[in-house]
Amino acid sequence: MEEIMESPLPGKIVSVNVAVGDVVEEGMVVCTIEAMKMENPILSLVNGSVKELTVTPGVNVKTGDRIAVIEY
Amino acid sequence: MSGEGKYITAQKIEDYKRQKEHILEMGGAEAIEKRHKKGQLSARERIDYFFDPGTFTEIGLWVKHRTTAFGMDKREVPAEGIVTGFGKVNGRYVVAGAEDYTAMVGTFGEYHGKKLSYALDFAKNKGWPFVTMNDSAGARLHEGMDTLESYGWTFKSQIMASGIVPQISLLMGPCLGGQAYHPVMMDFVIQTRNTGFMGIAGPAFVKTQTGEEISLEELSGWKSHAIKSGQTHIVAEDDQDCLDKCKELLSFFPSSNNEKPPRIEAKDSPERESPELDTIIPDEPAKPYNMYDVVKSVVDEGHFLEIFKYYAANAICGFARMNGMPVGIVSNQPMAKAGALDIDACDKLARFIRFCDLFSIPLVSLTDCPGYLIGSQQEWAGILRHGAKLLYAWAGATVPLVSVIIRKSYAGAHYGMLDKSIGADFVFAWPTAQVTIVGAETAASVIFAREIKEAKNPKEVRARRIREFSEAYENPYRAAERGYIDAIITPRDTRKYISRALGVLEKKTVATPWKKFSNINL
Repeated sequence: MEEIMESPLPGKIVSVNVAVGDVVEEGMVVCTIEAMKMENPILSLVNGSVKELTVTPGVNVKTGDRIAVIEY
Repeated sequence: MSGEGKYITAQKIEDYKRQKEHILEMGGAEAIEKRHKKGQLSARERIDYFFDPGTFTEIGLWVKHRTTAFGMDKREVPAEGIVTGFGKVNGRYVVAGAEDYTAMVGTFGEYHGKKLSYALDFAKNKGWPFVTMNDSAGARLHEGMDTLESYGWTFKSQIMASGIVPQISLLMGPCLGGQAYHPVMMDFVIQTRNTGFMGIAGPAFVKTQTGEEISLEELSGWKSHAIKSGQTHIVAEDDQDCLDKCKELLSFFPSSNNEKPPRIEAKDSPERESPELDTIIPDEPAKPYNMYDVVKSVVDEGHFLEIFKYYAANAICGFARMNGMPVGIVSNQPMAKAGALDIDACDKLARFIRFCDLFSIPLVSLTDCPGYLIGSQQEWAGILRHGAKLLYAWAGATVPLVSVIIRKSYAGAHYGMLDKSIGADFVFAWPTAQVTIVGAETAASVIFAREIKEAKNPKEVRARRIREFSEAYENPYRAAERGYIDAIITPRDTRKYISRALGVLEKKTVATPWKKFSNINL
């Protein structure tokens, strides 16, 4: 199964905490989006591994843009 | 002669008992056993579990359909597939209708609907809450227009009762088709995880009409409504949990809009301090913390019954007690979407505020909100008109309104999360509060645009101007100087201040000139 992670709000990616192939646990921070005066940690909703990563620090994202795909 | 008379009376009573017994058997032992195997209770078992022992009085046990078409003349539907009546729940009267899936799969026919709308009218007239236990395969199509019309009777009855008595739907079984407007128009929907389904159309209808293939669970299950559509307020594990949660919810409500919510004896001192709150706000203003910790520190014994837990997690709402008195808590969650007010959050909070106002439940707002969420996606979806619902809800509310600004209260969030201008009776703020019209970066880039552009060292000038604006405005003091904030308080004293404010507001009354309604942005 795959969990497609999408940006919940528009903003700028300020950090990416995982790489493709990394094992992630539910609740782990995958990346952080700066928006609305806040650093918004984007958490994995599942235990799995990072299959795809589509963002890098510094890029802007819109609501619904793909961030990563977690295989579980 | 007299002996014969006695015999006839006794026989009549025997006949009555036998007939009643037969109706009470519902769809029969086999059908009930089938439900038990699925972990579900029968309609009558639900009623028994829900009401205080021995208090339930059934109304309309003998009602029968009058349809003859398509073999319906030979079809027996015990109690028309719905058990209706009244009884006591924790000592207070409640009216209920429990659909019986074992009686012609709980189909909604003319007299099924008539019983439901009669029970709703009865609840409204008595001033008692109404609870539906939904479990029906849908419309009884054999009855054609009579079924369709009876949907309308139900809708009209519940809408006319809305705002007079609290209404709760327990989605313990399916409720699909137009019938699903019934649960959705109640004040609260509690959906069981594995057996509750709600939708405007089931998967088969969706497939024939649109070609979309989707399972019943995915289309209409708890996730679709508790997370995606925002139509299920509370999720229950099974039938008993659903009934327990309904009883707990009712414990916060008055029986009608003519009463005050029931106060219980408080075990938690209203003056209790919460030292843990003094260290909860991170030093960096952009870092999140968990708002649930604040909510639980403030309310009686940390007990919080959350509404819409899984929907629009950037906003928080639910019921708690302060000094034994039910209150509605409205807040933001900095851990989700910056705690910003997006469309879903506005819809969620506005409906919650409106409910509390209808039933005299005071409201407490705990604010840490950077503002309404901006950008094309929200703009085009109508954040302004959805955000307006929140303003209407606050401005129209006549219950005690207490606001505590924890940290961010920028721009629209200031009135969107309840300030003095929109109707707060009291506004308190922590020293960590940032109460102003716009963030320092945005402000500096507007006010000092030319100065920064023309400077020899624009970066330095920009940083200095941001710092200056932040120091001057991103605090609670400017608002307090104007009286927009009544008191700046240490975080540990939050409960004390809220308790005192609610105490003096207990007899709050508001007089407004007559009008039908406000033209809320529906």
